[in-house]
Amino acid sequence: MSLVLEGFLNTVALTLLSFAGALVVGLVVAVLRIVPVPLLRGVGTAYVEVWRNIPLLAWLVLFVFGLPEVGVTMPLFWTAFTAIALYEAAFVAEALRSGVRSVASGQGEAARALGLTVQQSLRHVILPQAGRRVVQPLANIAIALTMATALAGVVGVVDMTRAAQRINLELAQPLLVFTGAGLCYLVMAAGIGFGARVLERRLA
Amino acid sequence: MGRLFVAALLLFVAGCAGGENVVPGVGGGKFAVLLGKAPMYTGQVTPGSAVDRIKKRGKLIIGGSQDAPLLSQLDPTSGELTGFDAYLGKLLAQYIIGSPQTELLSATSETREPLLANGTVDVIIQTYTITPARKERVAFAGPYYQSGQSIAVRRGTSGITKPADLAGKTVIAGANTPAIGAIKAVAPTARVVEFGSDPECLTALKQGRGEAYVQDQAILVADASKDSELQLVGEPFTEDPYGIGIKHGDAEFTKFVNDWLREIGKSGLWQDVWKQTIGTVVTGDAPSPPAIAS
Repeated sequence: MSLVLEGFLNTVALTLLSFAGALVVGLVVAVLRIVPVPLLRGVGTAYVEVWRNIPLLAWLVLFVFGLPEVGVTMPLFWTAFTAIALYEAAFVAEALRSGVRSVASGQGEAARALGLTVQQSLRHVILPQAGRRVVQPLANIAIALTMATALAGVVGVVDMTRAAQRINLELAQPLLVFTGAGLCYLVMAAGIGFGARVLERRLA
Repeated sequence: MGRLFVAALLLFVAGCAGGENVVPGVGGGKFAVLLGKAPMYTGQVTPGSAVDRIKKRGKLIIGGSQDAPLLSQLDPTSGELTGFDAYLGKLLAQYIIGSPQTELLSATSETREPLLANGTVDVIIQTYTITPARKERVAFAGPYYQSGQSIAVRRGTSGITKPADLAGKTVIAGANTPAIGAIKAVAPTARVVEFGSDPECLTALKQGRGEAYVQDQAILVADASKDSELQLVGEPFTEDPYGIGIKHGDAEFTKFVNDWLREIGKSGLWQDVWKQTIGTVVTGDAPSPPAIAS
């Protein structure tokens, strides 16, 4: 029983922390991709293309077994957190960027015509509109991230899926054990979906 | 057009010729020698039984691994499965069908029981430890091999000389292997970290992700023979009887496989297979095969 709890808590913690990390990094990358400075845009584009075009499992293996070779050894949980957060940040950045882009350009121009500075027009005109449009795309990413944390089990973290595998090794009842694990993921994903709907209504 | 036709015909003939010369399922000349000595079943076959089904199909479908060194590993150059489990599978096919025709389906510890229950595979030969919990859902022939979990550490590690010393330590184990349960049994306070494959576990041990690595002794001996940084601690501390998994309730086929195991144990074929596989890294004579239960 303690194994189930450990696995579930690790999955929840990994999901929450990684998503928080992905939001922070993704926001920075999105800003880099939006600002009118070619060099910064290039950096932002490079980040997105490199991170999202290599499978997460490859990143996890590279981080867990590659980093110690260059002298960086972090606990497994935090290694997995770093890899997942940096990977998902690329998707978050694109969701945020498309949200900002979806605000008609006339809105920004009108704000500037009224005499608002760039910062003011962002804060009062563009970002509030972009904000509610990115809620659902971000919820999608959060749910995908929840499922992706199962990959951390491959590199030694005892997450929900790994715990289920260990329990099954003893019970030899895979259908029962994995249905149970699946339900745990379902509850988490449904929670994220519910939270997104509430947030969307608030921002509307 | 005519020339193309001739070329196609030649290719076709060449393909056929190749197919006849290469005996499928035989890796290297040494195993072919064993195959020559392998027994074939000549008794009665009950219509509709597992043996009848396999005979009619012309191949034995085995659930197993492709990445277990010495036991069941796919040789990337020849495309052949080599190892103790793999060879036993081919010999069993030889016994039933008269030729070593096997098909390997990759099984995992999550899929083994369903694969047997729904008849996707005929047998599971995959370091499948016989346990009371599993016996309720699967029939086991055998045991065909008596294995044991051993401890390996980085050379120079002090403080780990016996299984109980693992208490409170971080111990690496292969995902879904019997090692996990074995560690918990001898040292409940040990923290188990799992990695997918043996090379990953070794890398993790060398990078300090854990103080010790628990794995089947044969695999550890093979690892240590290639890597001087690795050191084995004492003798195996568990007894894991590996069985051949069969659909639950099929007593007839279980008895059939048991009879075959007894036969190859008596004739010395079992020992020959051991020498060609596990015996290449474990020193000393071949052990005697474990006694077949009932």
